[in-house]
Amino acid sequence: MSSTVEREPAHVVIKRPRRMPIPLLGWVGIVVVAFWLIMAVFGPMLTPHPAGEVIDPDGFGPMVPGMWLGSDVLGRDVLSRIMAGAQTTVGPAIAATLLAVFIGGTLALAAAAVGGWIDTALSRTMDAVISVPSLLFGLVAVAALGVSVPVLICTAGVIYVPGAFRIWRSLAVNVNAMDYVSVARERGEGMPYIMRREILPNLLGPVLADCGLRFVFAVLLLSSLSFLGLGIQPPDADWGSMVRENLPGLIYGAPAAIFPAAALATLTIGVNLLVDNLPGRER
Amino acid sequence: MSPKNGYSSSGVTPRLAPADDAALRDAIRRGATRRQLLAWCGGLGLGAAAATPLIGSARAAVAETPQRGGKLRVAGATASTTETLDPARGTDSTDYSRHYMFYNGLTTLNEALAPQPTLATSFETNDATTWVVKLRSGVQFHDGSPLTAADVVYSLARHKDPATGSKVRAVAMQMADIKATGKNEVTITLSGPNSDLPVILGVSHFLIIKNGTKDFSTANGTGPFRCKSFEPGIRSIAVRNENYWKPGQPYLDEIEMVGIPDSAARVNAALSGDIQLAAAMPVAAARQLERAPGLKIMETKGGTYTNICMRLDQAPTDNLDLVLACKYLFDREQIRRTIFRNYAVIGNDQPIDPTNRYFAADLPQRPYDPEKAKFHLAKSGFGSSLSVTVSPAAFASEDIAQLWQQSAKAAGLDLTLRRVPADGYWTNQWMKHPVTFAATNARPTADLILSIYFKSDAPWNESGWKSPKFDQLLVAARGEQDHAKRKQMYADMQEMISNEAGVGIPVFRSVLDAHSDKLKGLRPVPLGNLMGYTFPDNVWLTA
Amino acid sequence: MRPALAVTGFLLKRLLFAAGTLLAVSLAVFAATEILPGDVAGAVLGQSATPEALAALRASMHLDLPASVRYLHWLGGMVTGDVGHSLVNNRPVSELIGSRLPNSLLLAGAATAFCVPIGLLLGICSAMRPTSVFDRVTSVATLSIVAVPEFFIGTLAVLVFAVNLRWFPALTLSPRIDSVEGFFRSMTLPVLSLSGIIIAQIMRMTRAALLDVLRRPYVEMARLKGVVGARLVLFYALPNALGPIANALALSLSHLLGGAIIIETIFNFPGLAKLLVDAVSTRDMPLVQACTMLFCLAYLILGTLADIAGMLANPRLRAS
Repeated sequence: MSSTVEREPAHVVIKRPRRMPIPLLGWVGIVVVAFWLIMAVFGPMLTPHPAGEVIDPDGFGPMVPGMWLGSDVLGRDVLSRIMAGAQTTVGPAIAATLLAVFIGGTLALAAAAVGGWIDTALSRTMDAVISVPSLLFGLVAVAALGVSVPVLICTAGVIYVPGAFRIWRSLAVNVNAMDYVSVARERGEGMPYIMRREILPNLLGPVLADCGLRFVFAVLLLSSLSFLGLGIQPPDADWGSMVRENLPGLIYGAPAAIFPAAALATLTIGVNLLVDNLPGRER
Repeated sequence: MSPKNGYSSSGVTPRLAPADDAALRDAIRRGATRRQLLAWCGGLGLGAAAATPLIGSARAAVAETPQRGGKLRVAGATASTTETLDPARGTDSTDYSRHYMFYNGLTTLNEALAPQPTLATSFETNDATTWVVKLRSGVQFHDGSPLTAADVVYSLARHKDPATGSKVRAVAMQMADIKATGKNEVTITLSGPNSDLPVILGVSHFLIIKNGTKDFSTANGTGPFRCKSFEPGIRSIAVRNENYWKPGQPYLDEIEMVGIPDSAARVNAALSGDIQLAAAMPVAAARQLERAPGLKIMETKGGTYTNICMRLDQAPTDNLDLVLACKYLFDREQIRRTIFRNYAVIGNDQPIDPTNRYFAADLPQRPYDPEKAKFHLAKSGFGSSLSVTVSPAAFASEDIAQLWQQSAKAAGLDLTLRRVPADGYWTNQWMKHPVTFAATNARPTADLILSIYFKSDAPWNESGWKSPKFDQLLVAARGEQDHAKRKQMYADMQEMISNEAGVGIPVFRSVLDAHSDKLKGLRPVPLGNLMGYTFPDNVWLTA
Repeated sequence: MRPALAVTGFLLKRLLFAAGTLLAVSLAVFAATEILPGDVAGAVLGQSATPEALAALRASMHLDLPASVRYLHWLGGMVTGDVGHSLVNNRPVSELIGSRLPNSLLLAGAATAFCVPIGLLLGICSAMRPTSVFDRVTSVATLSIVAVPEFFIGTLAVLVFAVNLRWFPALTLSPRIDSVEGFFRSMTLPVLSLSGIIIAQIMRMTRAALLDVLRRPYVEMARLKGVVGARLVLFYALPNALGPIANALALSLSHLLGGAIIIETIFNFPGLAKLLVDAVSTRDMPLVQACTMLFCLAYLILGTLADIAGMLANPRLRAS
């Protein structure tokens, strides 16, 4: 963290990035994300009850010992289902986000660095892709490729590629117009070098902020796609789907309606605090 | 209290003179407050203690006598651009309800699914094959033209033309000949005897439209309401038909019907008072709705069910022992309690429910029995995992399948669930895999449900079950006019289905409607929600 | 080249490309509806579809013609301004869309008017004082709102404000613009439920893009010259950050017109997103196409506006 935090409104203190310690909120993000990553790996083995077993036949039960977070719409243990659901939520959402950002980002850098008709072609293609309704896209994916987790990840990834592309490109064309990029170009540097070494490091901040949000959307998109039948199959459920299926319990204030949403909230807040406070990021 | 002004006292509830009683009821209808009513009774020399029961009984009487006036806002459980004012094409409960606002049928089905004369005044037959239908005279369409035999012939015959896109074409095909035999008389000749014709013609698809109607952008029927506006998938507004042939009816001035497909939104709209009648409440919200002030729940029991179709013509479910093992592994009690919150009746793997007069009550109930299932499973030699296709298209199929998956573990049967989109489910998935789910709506007669879903050559013979003996019984029962004999035939058929067909029916679910306690006249009709969709000319609002 | 001239040329080029993009999208959508199993005849007949009934209905809808002929027929109609009739209910597509487009525009407009100023303001304030308490609180608060699914927030809002407090109706059956009170009664809950995610998106992108620019040498130079505070941010940094901010705006706003499906579901709001979902599930090609074309057009317009804003704001891009 910068050592001189300005208190007076009249000044803005901006320091060049340098090796800085991670601030408290960053640590919070790291701890939360690490917790859920561990849960994603070991959660399904640690559940107090099997995630599909009915332990309370009346459903929407309260929080009692042995059923610490109550029971869900079908009388299953909410705690166990959240623990088991970490795997089906965190993994695919991160994979889909990375996929979207990797493809969208690479294409955007290429478009900005090369320019000309490649830029035009890529940009217009992305416009077209984003304009195809994602419902249609999901349904075609199910029909053509069947239902499996890799198909789920790819579909969610591809749906978010154009969005990532648009943001990255708009940032990259600004950087591309900078003198130091022109200098590198004059130097005769290759295109991959310019993309990776000159442009990329200079748009990292906004791009990471975008990634964090895109991750949130990916989590929710997964639950919509699960609803279409793409990917995660019952009795397993991702957290978004758990919120959805237990929503009727909200009028009773059933814990089953609240805790999956809370788990989702901690995960997305954690991820965003983490990317916002990565060392070397301007804050 | 001293007897004066003609009131008797001496401990019994005081009574009002008829004129005063009418005045009191009138005041209540106009929405007088309790305080105003007490003051009014005071004017007659009654104290609060004497007036309170009087007001109470007057209120109850007012509540039970139909009243005219008022606007009703109804929420149907579906909304889609497929909505239509063509009764033949009606796709869902919102459509059906709407059609009963604008049209009448030849008959209407009552609480016992018995046909009541409506546009027809009589159905006469000697052999259940040739039927002479006498039509009511003096009935007018909304455009002012009178109802004639030609309208009825047109309305019925068009179902047979495939281009009409009728939902009941298969049923209509048995009407081999439909002709006008008088100004107010139609003769229908069936291809074979069927004692149920007056019942069949009571469903919404057979409602009567004006001869020659091709354009359904608005509705020209004989029904209690006229169509003021209709936007498919959004709403319709129906206003009172002043020339309706039922004297004094309809009671309401206007019905606005909106489709609210999201069940949570429907519940919230009912709770907040935005709508006065809401179809198909989710059972999970029933407890809350029952507690809510000013709201009531109406439970309609009937033959609506979600079933499992195990194909007898596809491996591995072509093995009857595996099918039986599966049927023994439904924990029906748990399905009823956990998924349907007890708003359901245990089923016995046959499609005739206890409200039907042909229900076979003597058929032994199949229990949840993992031991028997183990026996059949071992006999079948099936050792791998069984894939089960579920979909949001088949109501509650995901929930039933998940409980089934758990209860099947007790016999060591491993079920793998495969969830597919609701989109295109009925054309691409249903019956196309060894084990799929289906949701079946109540039908008005035992014959219909058995013909549609169990006859060997039926297009929706869900398990691919072929039994010539069953087919013979089905045709024989259709023409049988002796009730006892007919009942025995249906009982035999139910036993055959339960033991031989590949269809599992764990429970019959009730349908729940929520309504304002000011809405009166609703009764359950086992065909479906909202009085079997026939609420429009039966309900009224109290002040 | 003068900016006005550059923009005109740019616009003309974009117009040409827009036509191409629309054509490509319509082809893709047509192909998708063809690939998907099931057709509109099956959707109309539903569970009661028999092979002969399907064949008859298909013939009456001209589905028996080759796909290329049907596409060209549709395209021909489109070019001459006839968007066709819905296959499932035979009503003009223009009428179906016409009854819902004003509602969707109203929702999108109200949400934009509410979210954009708030998002920009929060983003700029946060960027001016990064790491301050204000920045931290805003950041965590917006994240918390985004982190909860829209359908959860919407349902909760209905339970609290419509069912318990009865301040607002639970449904928005017909959004009202005839009176200020009617407008607020019918639109407040849908707009609030939508706004969380949009405000967060705008706020985060504004903050990040501004911070990114604020550490550029030219800003440091300006500061050394004595430009400070709001002036520095608004006049020196903001123009250079406008491109990415405008693009983030375009992305989230284009989503408002056709992507508000969750809000439309919760409030039973008669908008375009539901119409599209319906049309897709019934394979009603003319309706799917018309909705998609409309959304695509909106997206292209917003995207072009964003690109123009980015170009005009950045002198270096303007020059090229």
